[in-house]
Formats: sequence, structure tokens, C-alpha cells
Amino acid sequence: MTFFIGQVLPYVTVVIFTLGILYRLWRWAMARIVHNITLSPFPQSNAQVAGIYAGEIVLFRNVFLFDKGLWIGAWPMHVALGSVIGGHVVGIYFLGKQFTYIGLSEHLSEQMSALLGTVFGLIMFAGLLYLLYRRLAIDSVRKISVPGDYLHLLLLLGIVSVGNFMRLFPAYGLEYGPAREYITGLVTLHPVPIPDNPLFIIHFLLVQVLLIVFPFSKLMHLFGMFANRWIMNRVYLDPAPGLPGVDLSKGVPVVRAVSEGGVTSAGV
Amino acid sequence: MPEYKGMKQAVRASEEDLRKIHMIPVPDDQKADEALKYLDEMRKKFRSFVTAMESCVKCGLCAENCHTYLGTRDPNNIPAGRADLVRKIYRRYFTPEGRWFGKLVGAEDISLDVIEEWYTYFYQCNECRRCAVVCPFGLDTCEVTMVMRQILHWLGMVPKLHAHVGHAMELTGNHTGLPKPGLVDTLEFLSEEIKDEFGVDVPFPVDKPDSDILYIPSSADFLLNPYTLMGAAMFFHYIGANWTIPSTMAEAGNFGLLFDQQATQRGNVMRLLDAAEKLGVKKIVWGECGHGWRAAKMYIPTLADRPVRWPITHLHDETSYYVQTGQLKLDPGKNNRPVTLHDPCNYGRACGLAENLRITLNACVPDFREMTLNREKNFCCGGGSAILFDDPEMYQLRIKFSQKKADQVRETGVGNNGDGVLCAPCSICKAQLYPMVEEHKLGVEVKGLIDLLGRALVWN
Repeated sequence: MTFFIGQVLPYVTVVIFTLGILYRLWRWAMARIVHNITLSPFPQSNAQVAGIYAGEIVLFRNVFLFDKGLWIGAWPMHVALGSVIGGHVVGIYFLGKQFTYIGLSEHLSEQMSALLGTVFGLIMFAGLLYLLYRRLAIDSVRKISVPGDYLHLLLLLGIVSVGNFMRLFPAYGLEYGPAREYITGLVTLHPVPIPDNPLFIIHFLLVQVLLIVFPFSKLMHLFGMFANRWIMNRVYLDPAPGLPGVDLSKGVPVVRAVSEGGVTSAGV
Repeated sequence: MPEYKGMKQAVRASEEDLRKIHMIPVPDDQKADEALKYLDEMRKKFRSFVTAMESCVKCGLCAENCHTYLGTRDPNNIPAGRADLVRKIYRRYFTPEGRWFGKLVGAEDISLDVIEEWYTYFYQCNECRRCAVVCPFGLDTCEVTMVMRQILHWLGMVPKLHAHVGHAMELTGNHTGLPKPGLVDTLEFLSEEIKDEFGVDVPFPVDKPDSDILYIPSSADFLLNPYTLMGAAMFFHYIGANWTIPSTMAEAGNFGLLFDQQATQRGNVMRLLDAAEKLGVKKIVWGECGHGWRAAKMYIPTLADRPVRWPITHLHDETSYYVQTGQLKLDPGKNNRPVTLHDPCNYGRACGLAENLRITLNACVPDFREMTLNREKNFCCGGGSAILFDDPEMYQLRIKFSQKKADQVRETGVGNNGDGVLCAPCSICKAQLYPMVEEHKLGVEVKGLIDLLGRALVWN
């Protein structure tokens, strides 16, 4: 079983994840942008378009402007998620010594790595719990929720809970070293047995479930956001105003008398 | 009052009405299969529809930002919930997760009940696009509504109102069904009105060859909003323009945008191009009509079957230009009442027309008060996409849909003395707001923007 989870399934996961996403993006790309439906006020340059993207990605601008109650949960959760993913990559690759590059001692770097991991892990846990509460507590959100919406949150909560537990109780945790050895084996296509730590195996398995589900779920909003903003936010330049045959440079023309009737109607 | 299993619905076009707009209705027992066929076609065509189907996370942010949900508290009027009415079918038939794990992702088999839900709720959407503005991903439920109305049209499920308008447009070139002699008569009358009220001789040239400017008024202006048409004529006359109104296309609106974006909408576009070509104009200027301006500005480039040789601008992009360059003499004192501005959704969110309205309005009135939440963040009047149904049950819905707008107007305080003006430069907004300001007792009179400009002009 651990052989399957540790040395076979990861390859299946990567294949499904990659091909699944490509399949979804291909479906989107096959459909066209039929009409110009850019939202106004229209961006006047690509720099402004980039500004819209950046505001939404970095700050969740719309969520902040229109639903602060959602922002309080969603923004910290996503920031923590991004940090945790980044932390896993550099932490495992540099064995927690990544902060020596900004001048810290090796020991301090490891402590810093552990501290940041713990803090972001806890923020993410709190954020997810809050989003779950919100989904249940707010009438309008509950009514548009389907079982999958809750399962996503529960799956993420499961991953984060196990991760936090390993972080907070190092006796149950896993050192960077064995983790790196294992991941290196996977990446170089010479898989070695998964570290014999039940919590790590559960953590790793749940992450794989998440990645398998990813292309077939609303998690695709990561890509959907770009695909959709590509349609909705683009440069539009208005034609110049000014009417042909109208010259007011010498002042308003004196109101001309109309010879007969008010209506000229050629061809009646 | 038509009703289907408790759902209140707009009166729909009869088979005879449908034949007049060249549609053969699909019998009930074939609707489900046909609907899937059409849905498959549309999902392969419209990327905006596919992204809306596949990227929504159901965060629910749109709920409190949609005036139809605020007014009715019906979950099917939450933009995400409205899209769910088709998303559940889309998932079931067009996604692997819906085919294999239908229950988990909320997929559902298609049935006549579902199609009736579509007809009910996609005609309770105002297509105002506020949800697209507020959505973190910019998902546009208006696109979903438009696709679904297209499918409903192909199934033969169109409100009588929309079908009638489509037919009238084909017969006469305007929505009210006025033939050319009727148009000319009305304009003669308006010309006399201008003479009586403002003391100036202002002509309304109709079909005048070799005009420079083709003015496309909303046909509602002939009957419901005469001061809008009078204001536009006074403006053109004042600046000495060589302009004309085409009798074959005396209609700024294009209901094709609202129920059939293919044959109907394209037909109206070609009608416009024919008129412009025949009269030899140099520029086309659009009148006060929200959805019509969107259809013209944003859709003509992709719908015209011939090269479009004429620049097309909006009346208020022009008035604001002449105001800004100081070329008009205006006396705001002639509009000495408190005024607030309702931003028509299609101007503010789809056409980039918001600042120019303010430039013109500020020059025409002494006391302009902004609504809270304005420009692209404004709330719809509740009549958007012409769901201006008159039968009692649907009329009650219109009152609910306009609740948010009423609150906004009240907040400005312009109606406190009962002499306020609610400037709404869009024919559908006007048609919705005329009765709604009475229902909500707002103490304001609804006017177009060019009405105010016409009144403020200082003649030599």
C-alpha cells in the first residue's frame, strides 16, 4: 500500500493533473471571444490592464471593495496557501537553510523556516475554517452550495490539519532531509520508499487527491480568473468626438428661420 | 397570469407570434433533447459562457450585489444561483465530473421543469452586468443569460413583449410600429411644441439625402419621451448641424441583443447600414438608449456583414465635447430643481459612458447630486433587458427589482420637496422608472439628459 501511495500514485497524479488541466484549457480555448464584452471604464493601455490583474491577484481588490466579510477569510487564506506552497519548495530544497542567503545563521534560518511555516499553516487553517463557517452560516451562500463545495474545504482542512500537527508536534513530524531524499527520488524517476511516518503518508496522499481532483473542480478558478479577465478587461479606445459639418469656431450660428413647417421629409 | 409549478412567468409569445419572427416552436416532448443540442452548440462557441460555467467558486459575493436578489431574496436570483440553473445541466452532460460524480457537483438530468426554470429566471435577469463588475474573476452572468435566452428563443420560448417588438421592428423599422407618415406627423407636432415652449423654429429632417449626421432616436421618444427627441433636435439645430432621422431605422434599440443575438440582432444592424448608405451620411449619432447603445457600439463591429464606413458615437459623447470646449451657451438656471443621475447599466459598465454624462449634466443644472454607488458600480433600475412586463404579477416583481434604485434616489434627498429630477438617459430606464417613482413615492420626475440640455440652451 505504501509502495503504491509513495512510488506509483505520484506519477499517476502528475499525469492526471497535467493532462486534466490541459484538457480544460483546451476546451476554453476552442470557444471564441465572439463579441467585445470588455467592462468599462475601459483600460486605455496594457499597463492599465496589467494593473487590474495585479489588483485582483495580489490584493483581491473586488472582494475587498464589495464583500469585506469574505475578504477577511479569503485573502489571508490564499496568501498563506501561496506562502506554504513556496515554503515547501524552498524549505525542502534548501533543508530549511534558505534564509542564510539573506544573512541569517543556519540555525536561525531553520527556526525562521519553522516559524513561518507554523504561522502560515495556522492562518490557512483559520481562514479555511472561517470560509466553511461562512458557507454554512450565510443563507445566500449556503443555498448555492453543493456537496463538492464543502468537500473541497474539508479536503484542504484535512491537509492543513495534518501538516500543522506535524509542525506543532515535531515528534510526529518529518525532518527536511528524508523529505528531500524522497522527493528527489520521485523527480529523478528513481523513486525510493516513502518515509515511514503515518502522518506524512496521510498528508502526502491527501495532497495527491487534491491534485487529481483539481482539473475537474472549481479549483480551476486559478486559471479561470486569467481566462476570463482576458475577455473582460482589454484596451478599448473611443472614436474622436466632433460632428461633421459643424463649425462653431465663429460662435453659435444665428438661429436660422425655417421657411415652412418644422419637418423636412424628402420622398414622402 | 402564466405560472408553471408555482413559478411566475412572463406572458409568452403564441405560436402565431413566433411565426411572425420566423421561429417554429419546438413541441414540449422534444424540448429537452433540442435544448441539449443548442447548449452544446453555444458552449463550443462562447468562451465567456464556458469560463462562467467552469470557474465559479460559489463564494456568494454576487448575492448582495444583485438588485434582483436584494429585492426578492429568491436564491435563483443570486447571479451564481441563476447560472447554476444551467450549470447543473452543463455539468451533467458536458463535463467528466458531472457524468461520473453528478451528485457531488450538483449535476442534474434535463427535464421540461428545468427548461421552465430557465424561462422564468433568465427573464428575471436585467443583464445589467453588475455581477461581472463585482466578481473576483469578472465572471459575467449576463453572458449566461444571453446564451440561455438564445436557446429559449430557438425552443420557441420568448416573452410576448420581445416577440412583438421583434416583429414591429421588421415591419416598420421601429419598436412602436409607427409607419413613416406617423413618424412625420409626430415630428411636426413636436416641432410646433418647441415653437410654443421655447420660441424657436426647429426642424426635424426625415430621410434628408446628403445629410452629414444620421441621428438614431429611440422610438419610445416619439410617444413616451417627447422632450428627449425635442432636446436632441434643438441641440442639432443649435450647432447648425446637417442632420436627419432615417424613417427606415428610427430605432436606437435592438431587442436582438436581448433575445436573439443572431438573426434578429444582425437584421437590425444591416437595416442601419442600409439607411446610412442610402442617405450618404458621414457619421452616425446614437440617441438615449442603453441596451441599444451597447448593441451599436460593441456589437456592430462583430455583427455587420459589410465593412462599417461610418464612425458611430453617442449623443452624449458629442454634447459633452461641445460643452467641454465651451461651444454651447447654457443657462443651468432654466433647470432650477435638484437633480440626481441614474447611470444606465449599459452606458456605465459596457460602453464607458459615465464621465461624459456628468460633464453635460453639470453644465445644464445648478444642483446635481451624485447617488451613492454610481458609474460602473450603479444599481440597475430593474427594467434592464426590457423585462418591462405589465401583467400584475410581473409588475410586482418590477417593483421589487427597483427597490434598491428607490433607496439610492431617496438617499440623495432630491425628492424631499417633491420637485426633484431623476435624470435617466435611457429609454428602458425611463419606461421602468416612470411608474416606479410613483410606486416608491420618490418625489422626482424622470427625465432624459438631452431634455435638460435642450431646456438649458440659450438662443440668440
